[in-house]
Amino acid sequence: MEAAVRTSGLRKEFRGTVALQGLDLVVPPGSVFGYLGPNGAGKTTTIRLLTGLLRPTSGTAEVLGLDVASRPDEVQRRVGYLPGRFVGYPDLTGGEYLRYLAALRGGVEWSEVDRLADRFELDLARRLGTLSHGNQQKVGLVQAFMHRPDLLVLDEPTTGLDPIMQAEFLSLVGEASRSGATVFLSSHILSEVEAVADTVAILREGELVRTATIPELRAQVVRRWDVTFVHEVPADVLRAIPQVAEVRVRDRTAHLVLAGSAEELLRTVAPYGVENVETHETDLTEVFLRYYTHEEEPWRVA
Amino acid sequence: MPLPGTDPGTPFLLRSVYLKSLRDVRHGLVGWSIGIALLVITESLIWPSFRDMPDIEKLFSQYPDYMQRLFDVSAMTSGIGFINSELFTLMLPVLFLVHAIGRGARLVAGEEEDGTLDVLLVTPLSTTRILLEKAAALVTGVFALGLVLYVVTMTCSLSIGMGIGPLDALSGCLSMVLLGSEFGLIALAAGAATGRKSLAVAVPAALAVAAYVLYVAGLLVTSVDPWQHLSPMEQALASGPLGGGLPLDFLWLALGCAVVTVATLPMLDRRDIAAPG
Repeated sequence: MEAAVRTSGLRKEFRGTVALQGLDLVVPPGSVFGYLGPNGAGKTTTIRLLTGLLRPTSGTAEVLGLDVASRPDEVQRRVGYLPGRFVGYPDLTGGEYLRYLAALRGGVEWSEVDRLADRFELDLARRLGTLSHGNQQKVGLVQAFMHRPDLLVLDEPTTGLDPIMQAEFLSLVGEASRSGATVFLSSHILSEVEAVADTVAILREGELVRTATIPELRAQVVRRWDVTFVHEVPADVLRAIPQVAEVRVRDRTAHLVLAGSAEELLRTVAPYGVENVETHETDLTEVFLRYYTHEEEPWRVA
Repeated sequence: MPLPGTDPGTPFLLRSVYLKSLRDVRHGLVGWSIGIALLVITESLIWPSFRDMPDIEKLFSQYPDYMQRLFDVSAMTSGIGFINSELFTLMLPVLFLVHAIGRGARLVAGEEEDGTLDVLLVTPLSTTRILLEKAAALVTGVFALGLVLYVVTMTCSLSIGMGIGPLDALSGCLSMVLLGSEFGLIALAAGAATGRKSLAVAVPAALAVAAYVLYVAGLLVTSVDPWQHLSPMEQALASGPLGGGLPLDFLWLALGCAVVTVATLPMLDRRDIAAPG
């Protein structure tokens, strides 16, 4: 099966400033793909290249097997797009705005619009100019989903949504994915996409630093454990365990840095009489934050 | 230009980019129509007292030659001449230009600066189609204003007895429509090329001033004279424009509109669309 999105050497410069440097990305069809990075990393640039709003400086972008640069209209027919800062016509009601876009797209079932509006508790009779930012964002989401596109390209979709609506959005993403659509969504917060994304890509300063599944990343999370022994710390034994990256001993407590599974550590230390184990879990968000701040790859601890 | 398969619940004016663009200007057109109507009515009401002034022809014969030609003052003793020099040679062209340039600038550059263009472009419609529909809406709006001008001018002429015939009024109104359309389309083109509303206003405004200067200079300086025919102002105004018949110069204006439109169509495909905010 062809990739939903495939870019090769995709590069974008704005007046000499490099926004995206040679991106090679493959998004499998039917997946939910989280595109992560801090502000200014090149997420929006990538999304605007995929939707045909920007032209690449070099390299190519294919969406649903179609070259975006040469066949933008066919791509745009099959894509649902939410811009990073969605703006509708303030003098139109939500209903009028969606009617207009549905007329331009053709083939939109209005019952689908009503269903989506209901789920987001959106009042379609109100003018967009009078809606809060969050409610405008819902209109933006409805227009992206309403024609049941093969690929959803959503730039920071949860911006302005309250937690209940965020959950509603995530369940909608899950449904779209189960019915065969591919969802490409950007975020600067991992926890937002962790629950729905199959795969995440991490972007920093226009460069892809890693693509991985969520379980793969979890396996590589670095944790800090403090193990207190009844007697003396068996430091050499601990150092011999492959997952233990670092050992510091103070009195009867070993301060460990653990990368990967804790299984072997637990089995090994049990006979030495463990009095207490204290764990300091590092969540995935912290892992990503380290990417953003130029630190070494977090699982390679010296 | 409604698209096939449109849901019957869709309001008529939201069925295409063309209709939506007309919808956006509907209130504005009402305002402009009232303004232009009041202007024509006021000037028409002044006409009888002006006509009855003694020695008016002697006064005009003392005007410099270029003034006589620019404002057609020698003809001011007739109703056509009076309305021509009071309205159709400067005031109405400026109003039509202001309206059309403002509209042209808003259609693409305005939408891009507001941020509404993004979603509109990511639809199956090609950028060429969107630009063509917007250009058509622009010309339709200017034409509607011209139609109002025609009706008001004819009504005033008939009720006050200014002697402006249906064809006289036609040539005058058509020249306003063509002139406005050409510079409005230049504004649309500048907006599509740059995405900036300020430039989309500045470029056609500067060109209009230049065209007017060229036209006036052609009247004053003999060596400029052959060049003034390049000026859309000359093409629109030199024949009268009220009562000028349908000069071939109007074809140049129409051709100008066509050339600018054709040049505009590929512009959005050739550049990046600015992200809002």
